[in-house]
Amino acid sequence: MTLTRNAAFADGPAAARRGGAWRIAAILLSIVLALFGIVLFGGGLWLIWLGGSWYYGLAGAGLLATAYLVLQQRMAALKLYLVVWVLTLIWAFWEVGFNFWAQIPRLVAPTVVLVLLLAILPALRPRRT
Amino acid sequence: MTNLLRVSLAAAMATALAGTALAQETAVKPAAPQPPVGADWPFYGGDENASRYSPLSQITPENVGKLERAFVLHTGDVPSPKARYSPETTPLKIGRSLIMCSAKNILVSADAATGKENWRYDPGVPDAAIPHAAACRGIATYTAPELAEDAACKTRVIEATLDARLIAVDLKTGQPCQDFGTGGQVDLWNGIGKRVPGWYAVTAPPTVVRGVVVTGAQVKDGQDEDAPSGVMRGFNAVTGQLAWAWDMGNPANKNGPAEGETYTRGTPNNWAAGVADEKLGYVYIPTGNSSIDYYGSNRKDYENEFSTSLVALNAATGDVVWHFQTIHHDVWDYDLGSQGTLIDFPGADGKPVPAILLPTKQGDIYILDRATGKPLIPIGEAKGQKGGSVEPDYIADSQPTSLWHTLRKEPLVESDMWGFTPIDQMMCRIQFRSANYEGYLTPPSADKPWIQYPGYNGGSDWGSVAIDPVNGVLIANYNDIPNLNQLIERPEADKMGVRPIYAPKTDAPAPKSTGGEGGASIYPQINAPYAIKVNSGWRNWGTGVPCSAPPYGGIRAVDMKTGETLWDEPLGTARRNGPFGIPSYLPFTIGLPNNGGSVITAGGLIFIGAATDNLFRAIDVKTGEVLWQDVLPAGGQANPITYEVDGQQYVLIAASGHAFMETGRGDALVAYRLPK
Repeated sequence: MTLTRNAAFADGPAAARRGGAWRIAAILLSIVLALFGIVLFGGGLWLIWLGGSWYYGLAGAGLLATAYLVLQQRMAALKLYLVVWVLTLIWAFWEVGFNFWAQIPRLVAPTVVLVLLLAILPALRPRRT
Repeated sequence: MTNLLRVSLAAAMATALAGTALAQETAVKPAAPQPPVGADWPFYGGDENASRYSPLSQITPENVGKLERAFVLHTGDVPSPKARYSPETTPLKIGRSLIMCSAKNILVSADAATGKENWRYDPGVPDAAIPHAAACRGIATYTAPELAEDAACKTRVIEATLDARLIAVDLKTGQPCQDFGTGGQVDLWNGIGKRVPGWYAVTAPPTVVRGVVVTGAQVKDGQDEDAPSGVMRGFNAVTGQLAWAWDMGNPANKNGPAEGETYTRGTPNNWAAGVADEKLGYVYIPTGNSSIDYYGSNRKDYENEFSTSLVALNAATGDVVWHFQTIHHDVWDYDLGSQGTLIDFPGADGKPVPAILLPTKQGDIYILDRATGKPLIPIGEAKGQKGGSVEPDYIADSQPTSLWHTLRKEPLVESDMWGFTPIDQMMCRIQFRSANYEGYLTPPSADKPWIQYPGYNGGSDWGSVAIDPVNGVLIANYNDIPNLNQLIERPEADKMGVRPIYAPKTDAPAPKSTGGEGGASIYPQINAPYAIKVNSGWRNWGTGVPCSAPPYGGIRAVDMKTGETLWDEPLGTARRNGPFGIPSYLPFTIGLPNNGGSVITAGGLIFIGAATDNLFRAIDVKTGEVLWQDVLPAGGQANPITYEVDGQQYVLIAASGHAFMETGRGDALVAYRLPK
């Protein structure tokens, strides 16, 4: 319904996708990602300071940047997160290989984030040139 | 010829005379033939050797899939809402009857084919007597040779209770044995000191050797250095009279302490099941730690000598024959929980020697000469770690290890940290990096938490191991879980309101974490400079999810000839586990914490519950593959048994849950057999 109403706007269909329900979805996802991101980034810095893995701080930074781009509804959000996700994949296998249970914390949540990003794909637009 | 005969006769008479003198002095009897395992399950550990092996072979890997419930028996011992219950019961089967004790020591006899009750005897143990949790792992029986066949209590069932009584009832009727103690009871509080319910409680089956009932007691962990004694006592199995006491702190207490005195307080106790060599006349007692567990600088020499040791006592005198210490200056609560198993093992010349196999919480499995205590396997050495210790001078420089077999895994690294999401995993990594940890034997610290791995739940705990003497296979289920602990300075502990068990009850709310044994608990350790906070299983902040990655427990087959692993599998599925305690119903094998042992059958199967998924399963001895399983009404944290009635093989396990393992509450025992 919202979509139909937005489609009537003069800006055309691309702009319509950025409004209404998609806009709300993007904001909600951005908040969730930002919350996870800030916890990971803060905790990750603490862990780095303790001499531990750098992954969490970096992943937290990646998630925060993604959250910002999602809020901006830019396609770059997906591109950036794909990089984060692929690097996560590489790191996870480097750390624990094919150990099924050990991969649960490493891969499940990051993959859920990827799926959510793909789900709001219509809300994202390429960078304006 | 004549001379030889004369000499032999003289020798025989001398022996007989000596025997009589000894018998008069101590009530000890000559070695008697012991009932075999098979149709019956006459001992807590199956046979007199505590092998947990049955020669029954009707149920096989081929037909085990058809196994069905024969009956479900209820002990009727249902916990009141606040009571912590961990029954851990293993029944005996003698003739047509099962005989067992419930969590609060109600003795029940039931028909072994139908579960129909024959009799019960309720000693009326009050809730106040419950220590960490109500448990009665088993009972013993004794057949008195001097009594007439039809005499009351010819064969008697003997149990020791949570409120520290030794009780004997007639196997046939359940009536108290009037010839035993006072009205069938002996009060074990005698000579212990002030009665504090729940502090001094027996949960293990007594051991009967040459007509002497031997028992220790558990002393609730971490309360006070001035705690009930760990004295071992032998009682005449017919009269209940004290035969001897072994008080390591005061040998003069052999016949009990003087009026107004007590057995030496705070000495290492024995809460694990003993095992007896009837022929040698020795009883093998696994000891625990001195009171208290996590600080040792002010321990006495005799405590340091006998804590966390296997002690061979002469059943006639209570004298120490030998002892073998599995950890020196124990500050980790690595007390011995497993029962020893009697085996024959090759000695130095390759010929079999009567031996005893002892599993430990650290995972090391020792094999010792039964007569001398000398190791029959190579003993290694682990270097003591002192970093972070509050008492580096007390920490032992080195500890023994078994080079024959250990269940212990490699030390933890940061990437072993776990969770369900990167966030909780990261929280665990932060805790890992913030803690003192130098691998195995990291000593207790107060400045920050320390990681203890393996934790105090094992390795091998009270479930012990099962040994198939025919095929030479040992089956060990084990835990693989760290604890995160921290010593707490006395003033801070006082501020937290940590109080010992004997403190008068006040209206002030007790700190939430002092109640139980599982998760985070704080123990006061009065008279030591520190209290102790134990996060058992290292549960994460908030979520309760373990910080270390699965598997948390496994089951392993070891070749008795070589000590090498034949197979090793995680034990338990994820069905009851999930974040925030929500069951996931996932059927995947994960490897869970487990308590309670296994039984091996000549049919080629292992039966075991133990894991916190509440499943009871049959495993192929050859491969470790789970061939059959059934969902129990509550956790199967108990040693199962197998027996035969009218040509049919039964397998039975107590499925009554376990407070510490968080597997529910119940009073059921479930029996299985093949369809008729």
